[in-house]
Formats: sequence, C-alpha cells, structure tokens
Amino acid sequence: MPKVTINDRTVEVEAGTNVIDAGLKAGVLVPHYCYHPRLSVVGQCRMCLVEISDGGKKMPKLQTACSSYVMKDGWSVHTDTPEVAEAQKGMMEFFLINHPLDCPICDQAGECGLQDYSFKHGVAFSRFQYEDKRTYPGRERIPLGANVVLNMNRCIQCTRCIRFTEEIAGTGELGFFNRGARVEIGTFPGKELNNPLATCVVDICPVGALTSTRFRFAERVWYLDKKPSICTGCEVGCNITMEQRRGDIKRYKPRFNIEVNDYWMCDYGRASFERYKQQPRLSSPRVAAGNTGWSQALDAVHSRIAGAQGSGEIAFLGSGFLTTEEAYLFAKLADLVGSQSRSVPVDLGTEWTIPRHQRPPIKGREAAPNRRGAELAGLGGENDLLHGDAASRCAVLVICDSDFGKAAWDPETVARLRQAKLLVVFGWADSPLAQAADIALPVAHHGEKDGTFVNVEWRVQRFEKAFPPTGQVRPAVEVLSDLLSRFDAAWSPLSAGAASTVFDRLAGELPAFAGLSWRRLPATGASLHVPEAHPKLSDQAAEAASEATA
Amino acid sequence: MAAFEPVLTRNVGKPEALTLKGYRQLGGYEGLTKALAMEPDAVIDEVKKSGLRGRGGAGFPAGMKWSFIPKGKDKPKYLVCNADESEPGTFKDRLLMENDPHQLIEGCAICCYAVSANTCYIYIRGEYVKSAVILEQALKEAYEAGILGDSVQGSGFKLNMYIHRGAGAYICGEETGMLESLEGKRGQPRVKPPFPAVVGAFGAPTVINNVETLCNVPHILTRGADWFKSIGTDERNTGPKLYAISGHVDRPGTYEYPIGVTFREMLDGAGGMWHGRQLKAFIPGGASAPILKPDQIDIKMDFDTVAKAGSMLGSAAVIVMDETTCMVRSVARLAKFFNHESCGQCTPCREGTNWMELVLKRLEHGEGTEGDAQKLLSICKNIGGQSLCALGDAAIGPVKSLVDRFPEEIEQHVRERACPFPQPRYFENGA
Amino acid sequence: MSVHEPASMQPSGPQIRGGGLSEASRAEIDGLRERYPTSEAILLPALHIAQRQWGGWLPDEAIAAVSAELDLPVAKVYGVVTFYDLFHQKPVGRHRIRVCNNLPCQLRGAEEVLEILHQELGVGEDEVTPDGRCSFVHFECLGSCDTAPMMMVDDDYHENLTPNRVRQIVKRLR
Repeated sequence: MPKVTINDRTVEVEAGTNVIDAGLKAGVLVPHYCYHPRLSVVGQCRMCLVEISDGGKKMPKLQTACSSYVMKDGWSVHTDTPEVAEAQKGMMEFFLINHPLDCPICDQAGECGLQDYSFKHGVAFSRFQYEDKRTYPGRERIPLGANVVLNMNRCIQCTRCIRFTEEIAGTGELGFFNRGARVEIGTFPGKELNNPLATCVVDICPVGALTSTRFRFAERVWYLDKKPSICTGCEVGCNITMEQRRGDIKRYKPRFNIEVNDYWMCDYGRASFERYKQQPRLSSPRVAAGNTGWSQALDAVHSRIAGAQGSGEIAFLGSGFLTTEEAYLFAKLADLVGSQSRSVPVDLGTEWTIPRHQRPPIKGREAAPNRRGAELAGLGGENDLLHGDAASRCAVLVICDSDFGKAAWDPETVARLRQAKLLVVFGWADSPLAQAADIALPVAHHGEKDGTFVNVEWRVQRFEKAFPPTGQVRPAVEVLSDLLSRFDAAWSPLSAGAASTVFDRLAGELPAFAGLSWRRLPATGASLHVPEAHPKLSDQAAEAASEATA
Repeated sequence: MAAFEPVLTRNVGKPEALTLKGYRQLGGYEGLTKALAMEPDAVIDEVKKSGLRGRGGAGFPAGMKWSFIPKGKDKPKYLVCNADESEPGTFKDRLLMENDPHQLIEGCAICCYAVSANTCYIYIRGEYVKSAVILEQALKEAYEAGILGDSVQGSGFKLNMYIHRGAGAYICGEETGMLESLEGKRGQPRVKPPFPAVVGAFGAPTVINNVETLCNVPHILTRGADWFKSIGTDERNTGPKLYAISGHVDRPGTYEYPIGVTFREMLDGAGGMWHGRQLKAFIPGGASAPILKPDQIDIKMDFDTVAKAGSMLGSAAVIVMDETTCMVRSVARLAKFFNHESCGQCTPCREGTNWMELVLKRLEHGEGTEGDAQKLLSICKNIGGQSLCALGDAAIGPVKSLVDRFPEEIEQHVRERACPFPQPRYFENGA
Repeated sequence: MSVHEPASMQPSGPQIRGGGLSEASRAEIDGLRERYPTSEAILLPALHIAQRQWGGWLPDEAIAAVSAELDLPVAKVYGVVTFYDLFHQKPVGRHRIRVCNNLPCQLRGAEEVLEILHQELGVGEDEVTPDGRCSFVHFECLGSCDTAPMMMVDDDYHENLTPNRVRQIVKRLR
C-alpha cells in the first residue's frame, strides 16, 4: 500500500484513496463541502484545495484533495501552507458573500459547515459591502416533500443532495437548475422529494439550506444531549444518535456503521420516536386499576403467580421491543415458574431498505428491533395467544410489553387476552392492553434504558440510556431483577439491575453470545454465532404472528 | 508575406466547394486518400511532425493529443469536433463550415482513421443553424459517395459522422463540458484527470479538436509536414492561421495569415482603424485574453510571443478598440458574459464572476470606490488557478489586464463619479 | 402503532395534458437512437424537437413528455432545459429575435439596435408583443462579430444592421 505524508504525518493507505480520506487517517481534516465518501466526486466546492508534491516536486497549482488519489509512494501533502490558507480564506469569502446572516433563526446553526470553516479559515469582515446579496424570493421555505424544507438563500450549491437522490436513493427527484450565479436545487414543478430515505439529504446538507420538517425550530442544536442508540422502527437496527433535551426526544440522526446502515436511515425510522410523545404513558404501578407503589405491586405479582401455580397454564408473551437483557430475565422468570409457554409476536410492516457500501442493501420488514434477540434469550416459542381462546386457559398471562404490536391497541385482541385469570402487563405505554391488566407495571422505553438488540443479520448492537425515566417508571431489567429475587434469593445480587451485568451473564450462558461482554462489545456491534438450523429462529413464527394480526 | 496563398480559406467564395463534386475538383479528399494508404500511426506521426497546435484556444499539439488515445480495440473511440465556437470575437469556424464543409469532414475522417475512432460527432453550437444545415447536406453526400459509412473509400475502415447541435452555452466549448452536453447533460465540465483521451465521451477514449485544427489536417497530409512547418514563426508555431478581426477596424473579417503575422500587418490588412481613429487597446485572442495596449502593435501573433507579452493567442479573435472606447465599460460587458456563461458548479467561478460583474458595473456607473481596483485584483487571485475548469481563468484575463494596464481609467471613473466617456452613438439620427 | 408514515411513494408528477409528443416528434427522436450509445444522449436533440412542436418553448408538459420518452428523471431533464439559453420555459413570439450585444457588437452599435427593437415592438426584452408576433432578447456572442451589429431572427442571421434595416426586418415579420 502506498505511503503518503500529510503535514509531516505519514500514513499508509490503500491505492486509490483520496487525499481527504488519507488525511482523516493521518488525523488531518481537509475542509470540504461537496465531497461525501458515498457520492461521486465532483470537485465543485473547491474548499479542499491542498498543496501536493510528488517526489519532492510541487504540483504547479493547488489540487482538490477530493479528486487527488494516492496511487504510489512519494506524495507529500500540505494543508497548512500560507498559499493553502489564502485559498481557503478566498473560498470562504465566496461562500459567504451571498449567504444570509440568519444564523440566529437557522436550524443548522451550531452544526453548520459554513460556521465551522469560517471560524477556522475565514475572515471576520465582509468586502461585499456595496452589492446586494443574491436572494431567491419565494424560495426561502419550499417544502420539497413531507419531510424536507428548502431555503434556497442558504444553499452553497454543493449538490450533495442531488447526488444522493440520484446515486443512493436512486429516485432522482432533485436536480440542479439554471446556470452560473443563479443555479438552484429543487424538484421538477409538481414533483416531490418523497423517497423513503428523503431526510438523509438534510443530514448531508453542510448548511441550513435543507432542514427537516420535524426538527425545524424544535431546538437549538447546542442544547441537545446526544447518545448512541439504535432505531426501533424495524429489524434493521440502524445506528442512530438519540438527540433530546430534558427527556424530550427531538430527533434521530443516523450514526455511521458500515456494517448496518452506512450513513443513512429511513424517514419512517426517524419518526419512530413520535410514539413516545403521542401515546399515553403508563406512569405508576397499578394493581386492580388502582395506583400503588412498586413493592406492593411486585409483591402482588409474586404472590398471585405463586398462588396460581397448579391452577392452570402460566404463559408469557414477549415483544420484539424488549432488549435482549430484558428478554433473558423474562425467560428466567418463566423458567422459575415452570412455564414453557412463550412467544415473541411481532408485526410485519412495510419493507424498509437501506443501501450500503459494497454490500447488498439491508432490508427490514418486522416492525420491531429485537425479535431475534428476544428469541435467543429464551423467549422463543409458539404459543398462539393472540388468536382463538388460548388465553382463557391461562391462570396467569404475563405480557411484556404493553406496546408489543398493533394487537396491543386492538380492542378485540385485548378482550381475547383479558380472558386469562390474571393478566400482568409490563410496558411504557398506557395502551388498552395495559388498561385491561390486573397488574400494570410502568417500565422505561428505549430512550430511558441501556440494552442490546439483535438485528436482522444477527448483529448484536448496544445502545445507551439517553435520559432517565421520570416518576415511578423503572427500567424493566431492574424490575425483573427485583421480581426474580422474590422467587429465588439467588437472584438478589442482580437487584442493582444493570443491563451490563445481565448481558455479561447471558453471554456466559448462551452459545450465540459466547465470548462477548458488555464492555468489549464493539461500538459497531458484533455478529452472533447462530447455528443455521436453530428451530426456534425460523422466521415462520413472525410470519404466523403477522398473518394473525393482519 | 504578400505571396502567402490561403490554405484553409482557399475555397471561400467558391460556391462549388459546397458540393462533393466541386470540392473534389478543387483537390479535395486527396489528403484522406493518402492517409488511408498509410498506417494510422504514420498519420499521427505526420501530424506530430507538422507541429500543428490546437486552434481552439489552448494551443495543445494536435498530434500529441491523438497519440494519447490508447491502442487496442477493447473500447470504442470517438472524435468530437468542437464546433461550439462561442468565444466573443471568434467567427472563423463558422466561415469554414459554411464555405467549405467537406474540408472539415475530410479532416475529421483522417483524424478518426489515425486514432481508430469509428464515430465522430461534430458538436456545433445551437445558434449556427446555417452551418449545421450545410454540414448535414455535405455529410449526406459523403455517405452516398462512400466517403463515410461502413467502408471509408473502400478501405474497410468504418466511420459514422453525426452533427450534434448544442443549445446555447459557452461552457460547452470546454472539452469536458462538451462531452457532458453530448451525453445529454448539463454542460458542466468534469474533474480532470481522467482526461478525455482516457475517459471521454460515453466513458471511452476521445479526441476533441477544434474545427480549424481539423481543417488543417487534409493539407498536412496532401502537402506534407515539412511544407506546413515552413509556414509560421518557428518550430512551435507553425502553419496557416485564421485571425478573426472585429471592433473598430475598417474591414472586420476573417483573415488567413501564416501564424506569427504581426498585429500591425493584420490591422493594415483590415483597412486600419475605422474613421482614422487612434488605437487604444486590442484583445489578441478572444474575450478570455488579457487586453494589450498599442505599445504591442508589432507583436508577432503566435502562441508563444503573445503569451510572453502577458496575454494569449487563444482563438486568435482580435477585438480592436479605438480611443473613444471606455475600457471599464468594455470589460464590464465581458465580465457580464463570463458571469452569464459560468456553469455555476464551482464556487470561485460562480461567485467570483458574479462579484466581478457587480463591481465593474458599479465602477462604470460612477459608484466605484478607491479600493475597488485592489478588490478586483484580489477576486481575480481567488479565482485564478482555483476553479474547476479554465473558464475561471478566462474570466479574470480581461479584468486583471484592465486593472494592470488601465489603472488611470478606473481612477477617473471613481474620481469623477461617472463614466468619463460619452455614451457612444454609432448611427446618426437613428438611421 | 401510530408512527408517522412517509408521504406516498407514488410519483405525483404533472399529468401530460396536451397529449405529449406528437407521432412525428417521436418518430424523429426514434430516428436518432442509432446515433448514440445511450438514450440520455438524445436529450438535447429531443428537446430541440419538442420545442419545435410546442411552438418555440418548453412548457412543463413538454419536459415531462421528453423525460418519459427517454426514460430519464424529470428533474434531470429540467436541469438540462434550464441550463441552455436556447431552451425557453415561457412562451415566446412566433418570431424570436436575438441581438448580440457582446463586446464586438457593442463596439459597433448593438445597444442602439436593442433600443430600436424596443421602440418598434413596444415591448421589453423577453416579452411577447400583444399579437404574439415577436419577442426579443439580447444574447451573448453569436459568432458574427465581423458583421456587427447583428441579430438572429429565428434561424437566420441578419448582419451589418442599421436602424433602418432593423425597422425593415421587423416590419416584414408576420
């Protein structure tokens, strides 16, 4: 592999790597706007001009780092010479002369390429004093589609968005119109930017020209707290950052993971947190429709399950929204009370497809992130409680969670499940199912807890608590640990209820997770060793579940 | 010099040259016949030896360009003839196409044979409707006579030649902008490398040559590289050259001279300054070329001498301005042109050409300030060498030379808060 | 679950109202296919053909029709249309006058030609006379600097203009 020196740091890169990527490897950021590693190289913004010497001989002009590819030894690149600094300063001036000074009302402020680079490379005054800035009257807030708004005044014509729709989404809704200083981006009159990945153009827009309808004016970005998380929209498990302020989730942004979602995520997933805001919240433990405290509620669960043993079937209904750790503890509870009746019903939804780099696209149909993890953790099974009168034979039915799928909101299904003599429901949502329960236990939703999900390709991925649950709501891992120790004192050491402890324990026990530990789990996740012919892992269960709910 | 026999324009004014029969009678297609009897590489060598440099503006040696085309038959190869003549001041290629279409077809055919290209597109600017019609007719005749088609003059070499009309964009004269336009896209120049000789039209190796360049080729084949080299200033500046003279001269027009004729001879040839006025400035090579002053009147009009004088021969379109001309106004008009024609993809050209036009307009309207000249120079510096294609560099040529060579005129505009030149009226009493 | 559903994924483009490309136009476009290795390359000729069919300009339906004919994203076609000066997106006169006023023509009176046109036609640049007969614009260099001032009327060059010649030419346009 050829070696290249960038500002006196030498790195070895694969032949054909461009100087921007080589710079990143050497820890040198070459400023750029139009270059994006997944889009064709157009060399348009001219921000990445650098000085390149080949074998000690300086190339006559500054070169764009994006379109300069290291093919052999002997290149020495400088990004910090006075000549380069002059060029960057000049380019920043060009970008800014026609850019509105509307940072105070611009969503991008705080994460804006223009702000960042003008701070680093620009000058603090304008020489564009006597001319009028170019504006696009009537094009300051054009909804390009349901989810993206264009403000043409702010556009720096990098064409990333256009190339995204052409090259990644493959839909080509956006185009570059007019010529010269009047160039614009937009859609053909009457057409909309409405592909499932549309909002990715907001992510890749280096400035505030494209903003997200959902996030517009929702929050100044510097007030956002960000935590690495996993999207729960489907079984793909797109890596995201969950961005929130004081427990109010503001947006999901895709987080780069070359194995899963690359730089992208779908608009459906981006919107998936809205349900935490739209649905009523189960806020305190409830026994027989009366609010109560946690110890009373857990005592009640313990005594009533213990009392019911022998008087009928004890069944467990899991959820594809459970973390692997929760599912594991749930399965342990089932083991302790001697129940073999378990299942993880999930809905099938629209198939979402995320394009990936040099890999086939990843697709998800199941409308839950972790059916596989829940099944691996021991909740797999084929009880068919959602149909017919199976529930009526149950002395106890424990459901986790109250929002396991559409069925939890369907009065008919709820009535069917209600036939169990004792109905215990864990969950974050005060769904009809929770309301029908004898005992309802409020637990954290996925923004409020740590955990892991196993995605459609059997990759286990960790996510972090973005903010703590409020009021009486507790993470399910904690609640289940408490409950388990009521049945068997051997579980009391776990009562601290940390997901990490549970994960390490299940990793020591379950062959699929062998060798993994919470701390050593890579940020990009780890592939599980899943025997191909695992009987419980067939997707037929999911198919059956979907047909049932359909 | 008086003894110089026109080469490229020898058939101008002979309507019979428009027909194949007439062109043949005038000695046409001899060069192609000769080429077909040679090895392709020998044709390239002959053109290389002649020293023919591109007549479109950049002056790149044509034979060398052809030799960059990879050998081998794994990929199709193309010739794209650049007939997108749009550089202000330039009108020589139109003359060649409208008066001697077969000369161009013959030149294209020889080039295609030399580089083994089986397809040639003549990219002709959309406004040149007449040229396109005449060429279409000539192509038809050439096909019918077996000069084009499955076996060029029975040689077994297959060649298809098509007219492709542009639609009004100067930037399509830039070779990769032209390729994009040919492929049905916006004419936005490509990042280079790769160069068209490797990745050109439709991803295949492609030669792009100007009309005048290709029109020289039949004569090189017929009369030999040595004859061609005997015309001109020196080894690096050879052959006949068309000079398009416009502006304030008595008889504007296209004049053919051996390359390296002096500007004074050319000016005399065009009848001198009109109305006997004084020469104030001249642009030697189209709108992109920096402006020269009368002290350069004896300059030899070849690639290297003009470059040494701080300008460029470009397309050899000479725009002459007399003493009544306001240089600020003239350069402002050129700046407007470059702003209008910038494709808009790259930042320095998109923003810089626009800014320059605004500043120059302001100056012309008497709203200039002391710092404007320096500001213009600094904008030029920030565009120069940093734009994606050559249009950025072209746009700063006239502006920089205005500030460098006519500073007093800018100062006067600023000082007097108005243009010191009366608005010229060219027609008396509106007649 | 009440999750926000993205907008319809069906393209909601404009309907072709006027019947789209005529048979003649389509045949002409088809005749060009053998010339190019890609159908995209036919776009410029196809737009010329469509513009002729639609009377000198390209309404959205024409753009949509060409995009459908060549199977290209309509945004791409629209980008091409807006790039080139010879494609028009608003109605033009039956006769289109383009006056070069680049430097060589400016040096010989092009501005006066524009003034005359303005007087004679009674409309501004890029406007159509009320009878639909003419529209005029200034244009960049048309490559006829030796015969400046000059203008292009439809496909023809009119050179060495004087105010009287301009008046005569305009009068003859019907």
